[in-house]
Amino acid sequence: MMSSSRSSLAFWLRLVLVAFIFAALEIYGRFYADPAFMSPPSGIFRAFVERILPEPKIIEALFLCVLQIAAAYGLSILFGTLTGLLVGATSFSRSAFFPIVLLLFAIPQVSLLPLVILFFGLGPAAKIAFGFSHGVFPIIMNVVAGMRDVKELHLRAARSMGASRSETIRHVILPHAVPSLFTGLRLGMTMTLLGVILAELYVSTGGVGYYTRLFAENYNPAPLFALIGCLAVIAILFNELVRLAEKRLTPGLRRSAALTNLVKE
Amino acid sequence: MSESAISIRNVSQRYGDAGAPDSVLALDDISLEVRKGEFVCLLGPSGCGKSTLLNVIGGLFKPTSGTCHVAGRLVDGSPHPDKIAFVFQESTLFPWYSIIENFRIALKFQGIPQSEWDDRAMQALKAVGMSSFASHYPDQLSVGMRQRVNMARGICVETDILLMDEPFAALDEQTRMVLGEDLSQLLAATGKTIVFVTHSLAEAVFLSDRIVVMSARPGKIKTIIDVNEAHPRSPDFMLEPRFSELRNECYALLRDEIRSTMAAQRDPQSAGA
Repeated sequence: MMSSSRSSLAFWLRLVLVAFIFAALEIYGRFYADPAFMSPPSGIFRAFVERILPEPKIIEALFLCVLQIAAAYGLSILFGTLTGLLVGATSFSRSAFFPIVLLLFAIPQVSLLPLVILFFGLGPAAKIAFGFSHGVFPIIMNVVAGMRDVKELHLRAARSMGASRSETIRHVILPHAVPSLFTGLRLGMTMTLLGVILAELYVSTGGVGYYTRLFAENYNPAPLFALIGCLAVIAILFNELVRLAEKRLTPGLRRSAALTNLVKE
Repeated sequence: MSESAISIRNVSQRYGDAGAPDSVLALDDISLEVRKGEFVCLLGPSGCGKSTLLNVIGGLFKPTSGTCHVAGRLVDGSPHPDKIAFVFQESTLFPWYSIIENFRIALKFQGIPQSEWDDRAMQALKAVGMSSFASHYPDQLSVGMRQRVNMARGICVETDILLMDEPFAALDEQTRMVLGEDLSQLLAATGKTIVFVTHSLAEAVFLSDRIVVMSARPGKIKTIIDVNEAHPRSPDFMLEPRFSELRNECYALLRDEIRSTMAAQRDPQSAGA
């Protein structure tokens, strides 16, 4: 266990490093860089206040982006978990179906993006579909892996106690798979974001992708970076959401750390 | 002689199909009677089929041939949780459940009505001196504490027969000794029939009424040694000359077996299982 003085030292060190990077970017952006390609952090912040916030269309685009990510992610969780449970249920179903999942996952999906746009059109549906097709695989794979790695000893113990097949699944296999499920959910989140934003950048008639291209093609880096910063914040917020859910829902992570130390000492 | 609780007749167990190159004969024609209330240790080199035999008795494995009766009932590859409880290594506690939840789930699996769960669990935890840790999670306890709880879980289901598969293997020697003493006392009070798998000579002599010494693969019964000493046993028993004599006798019997197992393990064809 790290002492509190050491962890606060780590915090300050981290802060100093981040401040140093910002200062370096500021100096480089202000005195050395070509303003057509780069803007110092202060310029980006000014652009955020002056060019992004007052523009209702951009705010609307960002809001739509959040909705698309949420929809794609929701579908990924629902479909990914269910498929994972079905595929991972028995070693037979796993050996029958898991190779299909692995094969589909191996396809570089970007190459299918034009097809997705063709199918789902230029609107949000294509972004949701592409985000979903990215997010669903990590979830399936981790649910299957979590169910497969259940300890033989736990299964044998449950059987010796007279557990039925469904009781074993409910009280042994599923709880065992929870940490792995959350690994899948975190990876799935990252992939969903990637999918939605890729689709946005590829074709968009008024979404975040449209404005990104607009600013980039006009050599206007300050609002471009401000917009990218907004996407980064959205990504961080979604990831935090998953992390909080993980902390609350993983059995065994619920207990207090203080109690652990008390007993182990 | 009192009636027999477990009756094993001509049990053989083969992994893989006979004749296949990776097929292993784990048990070869084992016959054994265990009397009611008796504490029997299965002692042998690792890989001799001790655990396999235990799993056959507990109905977790179906023997390739032969029969096993427990309390007059044929056990044929399906567990009888109302008659038989298993205690495995301490890591068998489900880490996602707290201690009390681990007990509840064991009792639920066994089909005990819910109203009895907590009383029985607390009673068993009290018996091993762990009742104040009911709401802890297994990984918050030390290994020795976990095994205490795990033993209590096996006892709280109140079966006549307890099968213990190297329950103390992951413990350090001091903890082993203390838990062994506790076990001897606990069990003297309950009158359960116990089959205990171990490869610790001292443990076998200290705990058992009879020690079944098994030979290296294919597992056969080499000798059965009687330990005439009443339960519960005090640690003083370990200081008696008879204790060392018995232990040396076991060691002498096992030595050759251990050597031949080690020789066999160098040959990849016969390793495994």
